[in-house]
Amino acid sequence: MAKSTSAVAALGATLALTLLAGCGGGDAAQSGGKITLTFTAYGGAGQDAMIKAYQTPYTATHPDVSFVNTSPPDLAQVKAQVLSKSVKWDVVALAPAAATQNCGKLFEELDMSGVDTKDLIPQTIGKCYVANWINASPIAYRTDAFPDPAKAPKTVQDFFDLQKFPGQRGILSNLQNGILEYPLLADGVDPKSLYPLDIDRALKKLDTIRDKTTFAPNVGALQQAVGANQVDIFILPDSRLVPLMNDGSKITVTWDKTVASLNAFGVPKGTKNKAAVQEFLKTIVTPESVATISELVGTAPVNKAAKPNLSENAKKVQVYGPVNTGETVLQDVDWYAQNFDQATTKVNNWLVR
Amino acid sequence: MPGLARRRTPSPQWLLLLPALALLTVILLVPLGRSFSQSFGDTGWTLEHYKTLFTDGVTLTVLLRTAMTAAIVTVIALLLGYPYAYLMTRAGPRLRGIMMVVVLVPFWTSVMARNFAWIIILQRNGPVDSFFQLFGLNVVLYESVAGVTVAMSQVLLPFMVLPLFSALSGIDRKLLLAARGLGSHPVVAFWRIYWPLSRGGVVSGLILVFTLSLGFYVTPALVGSPQQSLVAQLLGQRTTQLLDFEGASALGMLVLIVTLVLVAWANRIGGTISAIGVAASAPTKGRP
Repeated sequence: MAKSTSAVAALGATLALTLLAGCGGGDAAQSGGKITLTFTAYGGAGQDAMIKAYQTPYTATHPDVSFVNTSPPDLAQVKAQVLSKSVKWDVVALAPAAATQNCGKLFEELDMSGVDTKDLIPQTIGKCYVANWINASPIAYRTDAFPDPAKAPKTVQDFFDLQKFPGQRGILSNLQNGILEYPLLADGVDPKSLYPLDIDRALKKLDTIRDKTTFAPNVGALQQAVGANQVDIFILPDSRLVPLMNDGSKITVTWDKTVASLNAFGVPKGTKNKAAVQEFLKTIVTPESVATISELVGTAPVNKAAKPNLSENAKKVQVYGPVNTGETVLQDVDWYAQNFDQATTKVNNWLVR
Repeated sequence: MPGLARRRTPSPQWLLLLPALALLTVILLVPLGRSFSQSFGDTGWTLEHYKTLFTDGVTLTVLLRTAMTAAIVTVIALLLGYPYAYLMTRAGPRLRGIMMVVVLVPFWTSVMARNFAWIIILQRNGPVDSFFQLFGLNVVLYESVAGVTVAMSQVLLPFMVLPLFSALSGIDRKLLLAARGLGSHPVVAFWRIYWPLSRGGVVSGLILVFTLSLGFYVTPALVGSPQQSLVAQLLGQRTTQLLDFEGASALGMLVLIVTLVLVAWANRIGGTISAIGVAASAPTKGRP
């Protein structure tokens, strides 16, 4: 009796110790002079494309570097890693404004000297980020919802005109896809004097279509809604329009005014591999990398020297290509960096009220 | 000698608790304590984050909406779960096994799969909408609180049925026979004998479903919409979008306090049986 209870006790104590010990970190970033970079992006086909376009060519020329891929690139996770001084991620996909907003606090300042910036579009390289592609989020509609081209929406105003163009709208609720820009453009604000954005005016304009609009929390949800005919006219990134069209959805893009934004990479503050990451990031804006990623994902290139060989469907959404007969507004990274919290809070509060 | 042994035994047995305590300390108490201190500010001491909750005009709306949704889900789960659990106690072993499997299937299916299935069922021109279109009605529950309520009720039903079944199967049916034998109407016999005896199970089911509903994230995030956010989505936004850990901690603390108060209150109504005790032991007892 006494023996068995003490055995039980010993077992309990051992288990407890094991559990506690298990919580101590196992950190094996470097082994044998090799550098392992942890690359965090949005997963799925997009990240597969990044592996092909950025990582595979890089490891071919830099045999001492290898990559570990994870997702999703949660900013809260970066903050937690930095605050607890245990940074596990080396490269994080993010909105450039997020990197600028937290530059020096959560993200390393980057030295991109040596990069040929001659053909890069403005804002490609920031103090704390390197942009890798442009996502355009044009207004598009399902062709079967508006079968007659003469009676189909053509302008930004049409998107907000429920009388002339009834139908369910689809908008992404995050700030990177024009939820604030399009209402202002429809309200008559000149694309050149859009920033600083008048958030309240934008939300007032959104009020007019609120009841007929599906606000999707992420691109996947809106892509699903379009594919399942849940929305008729919508604002969705080019990289999501291409797979939809590839899957047989009939979609027409209205090229009036189109909002585009940069996607970028940042480096969490305190990484042990900063030098190696910087070298790697320099290679993602070369014409070759930029062309490859555009071909794979259907996004617009940040390097004008890139000559991607695009598929038929990718050409239909190419914001800097000949199909775009309208005007393009590139989101202002600095405005968003300064006003991100305020704008997000206002939009969220408007949504949930 | 025997007295000595008895005095010695309790201490080694307590050691059996160590693994659980160690786990709870590390994964629950420490982070909770951190959240608690963080909710009063990262550097100085401030009540600002709590003040904001009550003054931003949004948090209270969402909290109220969440509590309403959770209450409705709980009532639906009880209305569906009670007869089901009752029939389980009356069924033969074979049928009971099948009924148990039906209840447990949601546990074995991926949460994502179930929620995506609900999206397809509830969306525009989905089965539900198509059915009502026969009567000239448009019923799109996808992206509405109603849709979230329906989906959550299904997802959380096992948490009602299992404690109920465990409580109901422990009730001695001879008491009902005795009541009938003494001339009671079946309804009265149920109401005065069976229902009070089942109350412990009812309360633990109610508490389990209600508290789980309050913190539910996946279903509202997928089946609901940003316009109809529940409190977990608000927490998600504050941590992942705004990186406002302090504000999120304060909101988390508020939800925790509200939940604890409600549980304590329900526990008192539940009478002498400790609801938490039954709830904690029910799932193991209920397994076939």
